[in-house]
Amino acid sequence: MVLQILLHVGAFSLDQDSQHVTPWHRLVPRTRLVCALLFVFATALTPHGYWITWALYGLGLTLLLLISRVTLSVLLRRVAVELVFLSVVLLGTLFRGGGQVLWQWGSLQITTVGLTILGSVSIKALLCLLMMNFLVLTTSIPALLHALAELRLPQLLVAILASMYRYIAVLVGEFETMQRAATARNLMGKKRWQRLVVGNMIGALFIRTYDRSDRIHQAMLSRGYSGLPPLAEVPRAGVGDGWAIAAMLSLLLGGFLLGWVG
Amino acid sequence: MHHNPIHIENLSYAYADGTQALSRLNLSIQANERVAIVGANGSGKSTLLQHLNGILLPQTGEIIVGEMPVEPRYLTAIRNFVGLVFQNPDDQIFMPTVWEDVTFGPMNQGLRGHDLMHRSHHAMQAVGLTPEVYADRLASNLSGGEKKRVAIAGVLAMQPQVLVLDEPTAQLDPRCRRQLIRLLENLPLTQIIATHDLDLAVDICSRTVVLSQGKIVYDGSTATLMSDSAFLEQHALEMPLCFSRPYCRLEDHPLEHPHPASLPSFSA
Repeated sequence: MVLQILLHVGAFSLDQDSQHVTPWHRLVPRTRLVCALLFVFATALTPHGYWITWALYGLGLTLLLLISRVTLSVLLRRVAVELVFLSVVLLGTLFRGGGQVLWQWGSLQITTVGLTILGSVSIKALLCLLMMNFLVLTTSIPALLHALAELRLPQLLVAILASMYRYIAVLVGEFETMQRAATARNLMGKKRWQRLVVGNMIGALFIRTYDRSDRIHQAMLSRGYSGLPPLAEVPRAGVGDGWAIAAMLSLLLGGFLLGWVG
Repeated sequence: MHHNPIHIENLSYAYADGTQALSRLNLSIQANERVAIVGANGSGKSTLLQHLNGILLPQTGEIIVGEMPVEPRYLTAIRNFVGLVFQNPDDQIFMPTVWEDVTFGPMNQGLRGHDLMHRSHHAMQAVGLTPEVYADRLASNLSGGEKKRVAIAGVLAMQPQVLVLDEPTAQLDPRCRRQLIRLLENLPLTQIIATHDLDLAVDICSRTVVLSQGKIVYDGSTATLMSDSAFLEQHALEMPLCFSRPYCRLEDHPLEHPHPASLPSFSA
């Protein structure tokens, strides 16, 4: 989730599909988060090669995407950006040993086991990214942070996440201002010089952040902060929320059994 | 409301590097007074304001807020009594949405449910923000003027008896500045306003305190101070525009109003 926030912080609105009225949007954020986390954990923990299981999970997810009327183009674009980063990690799984050797060049070899692992991990990554991006697209970050707090994640950790979300845009803004100021005074010259200047900017930003954090802490103290952020009231979950979690569990269990038997 | 909310006696404060920020300050502020604190950069204004809310504790001397001395054991009560609005709203609005930020203070006071809702709605309306429109807005997407209002709403929601503002009109466009001045004028609270904007001081503060190198060099009527250009210059200040401008309208003329008939006629 943090990855999604960080990578798309420049996006016009992270949760641009959060205002629809659909059965998915009627669920309280806590339930949506639980469903997404169950899905991600189940997908990640399925053994390699359970293709039927993932096919069923993919079917379930597609159904969910259709029901919630999410903007598919935005979702796919975000997943594509993230997959670029993940593909570097995924490539490493291709050259595993074991099984039948299909191709060899020096010490590098592609084997059937390597291919199975690559395929399995890629599908897992794709499904998980789709699910988490879908969650971020349909639920506002403040609502998700509240949901995390309601699920008993340590309050301080949630507060740190909330500050990060609040201030990342301020930091990006400050860095861009510094960059513009440097360009306005003709920051060109050699690449090495440019890198040096950018390095200095990051340093300056760090010191400013330190000062700012001090001022923010003072502002918090002056409004009665006593070490733990106050917890907002928990929205009541309805019958629909229970059904949603039950449906998600049965999908996951059904998929696993199908893969196990098949 | 307390009749003498702020009383400062012999307050001195030096920073860790040895800079003497405040030295032997004496100041007493009555209920419902609106006091401007002016002075050059580095004259100690912000340091003084941070003492009023207990962010800084007096090194020597004493501050009494209401009936409580500024000491660690009274800090919670003092922070409920004195609301501090910081200069940069980005430092003060630290929660992701407007509603979360406005409710931060009252929730720390233990308010929940209907009371919290009522208090926060009221505070937002007091600064001219419609709760239905602004509650779910992200703090990072607000304009400068809106951020300033949210910052003030967040403090008003705690229902303080004294409102302390650090440079409230800095970075505001003329319209936002005027709206803020009207807002402050209509708030029935004791207000202490540190500012470089002397026109603001003339507009809404009957009393002004001038700080220079950590000392109070003037404490009295704003109008008297503003007409003394030599004194202002001596302390790195400047006569406000409304005092230095030539009189553009006859009714602003300081002398007795001349009878219209005695005015020279410009008709050919």
